[in-house]
Amino acid sequence: MGADLIVDPQIRFWVFLPIVVITFLVGILRHYASILLSSQKKIEIQQLADSQLLLRARALRENSGYIPKNAFLIRKQAFNKEDGYLMQKRPAVSQNMMTDPSMMTDMLKGNLTNVLPMIVIGGWINWMFSGFITTKVPFPLTLRFKSMLQRGIELSHLDASWVSSASWYFLNVFGLRSIYTLVLGENNAADQSKQMQEQMQMTGAASGMPADPKVPFKAEWEALEITEHQTKLADVEKDLL
Amino acid sequence: MPATFIHRSILTVGFLSLFHAAYSAAQHRSYLRLNDLDFTHLPLDIFLQALVSLFIIMYGVLNITGDFKEIKAAAELDNKSWETFRNIPSFYIFNHRGGKSSPVLTKTSLEEIE
Amino acid sequence: MANKIKNEFVAYSEPAIRNNLSIVEYCRTSVAAVSGCTAGVLGLTGLYGALFFVIAVTSFWFMLIFKAGIDSWKKYFISRKSLLLNGIFGHFFTYILCWTFIYGMVHVY
Repeated sequence: MGADLIVDPQIRFWVFLPIVVITFLVGILRHYASILLSSQKKIEIQQLADSQLLLRARALRENSGYIPKNAFLIRKQAFNKEDGYLMQKRPAVSQNMMTDPSMMTDMLKGNLTNVLPMIVIGGWINWMFSGFITTKVPFPLTLRFKSMLQRGIELSHLDASWVSSASWYFLNVFGLRSIYTLVLGENNAADQSKQMQEQMQMTGAASGMPADPKVPFKAEWEALEITEHQTKLADVEKDLL
Repeated sequence: MPATFIHRSILTVGFLSLFHAAYSAAQHRSYLRLNDLDFTHLPLDIFLQALVSLFIIMYGVLNITGDFKEIKAAAELDNKSWETFRNIPSFYIFNHRGGKSSPVLTKTSLEEIE
Repeated sequence: MANKIKNEFVAYSEPAIRNNLSIVEYCRTSVAAVSGCTAGVLGLTGLYGALFFVIAVTSFWFMLIFKAGIDSWKKYFISRKSLLLNGIFGHFFTYILCWTFIYGMVHVY
């Protein structure tokens, strides 16, 4: 099985190994570059206060049974009366990406550390190491894998388990993920697919903060309004004794 | 037990041994190729060396990563005494009569320390 | 059954569970990588390689349980089976990469 093709041993040291090393080091470099470039998310103090307010209201609603009725009503009043906490007016916060330049810079930095090296290194490897047969996977594969594993070599009679240099690079890009986890620890930035996901989420929901506090305030107000006080501690003396 | 020097060296020995096995295997392959022999199986010593070094590395990794913590929430509290819980730093008082009545710590000596 | 009733109200400490699982995850990833390297050195091909992966992971699982203590593993983990099976395909991918790499280094050229 292995004797049908003899590969020049020089390829091992000048193509096969360099691709692995380059891919690995670029991943490490990307990790540190993104640490350098990352900017701490600034949180508006108003937003933080609002989200804490919502948490307090919910805590009151859920645990109302454990405080006396009087205390519950006082707290409810504080939230729900005419000028209570939950009736405050807030200016609508615009989270539009175009108007917020910091979001734009973040996106740019993300692209700079993710997409650009991927394209540049990929193109460079394709140009530098094109057309080599680098290795052979140690298990038989069907012909369908041929186009995946032998990019850059168009030999129709070659066994499907040989791998070309371009494909070997891509295998490395996707396969070294867990090795980065070993070397750099969890949540590293070397793995670009995870970062892509994060970016998608970032553009979707603006990092967990409610963009417009009016809507959750209204919902919480309604929920608190219909909460009835039902004490859960009626028989507590009996239970305790 | 934390990751000790012994475990680190065990891990290093394992990796070196595995590397040596790999190098020997590569040498064996090139020897076979030069002599036009077919590859049937690795020599037994390389085979054993690779396997043994795998297990050495497994053992080293297992011991180097640290200990497990007990997952019961009460486990952490088990070896703390009641005194630990009564210790509330916010209520510490340093300015009490002990300072006045101490023969060693007079007001002047405290100022000297400062 | 009696055991279950006794453990019904056990509260687990979240950070401790996460700590244990991350340790196990680290170990298992490195075992997958190293066993891949070993398989490459041994020059296993085809199904033998997959078999070797299963053997390596299972024996590591036994070592893990042995480290936690054969009858005291319940103190550290909720389920023994998840120690063996969690994310096995991701590890298998790591294994294949290392296997291919070392196999290429040692046996192809």
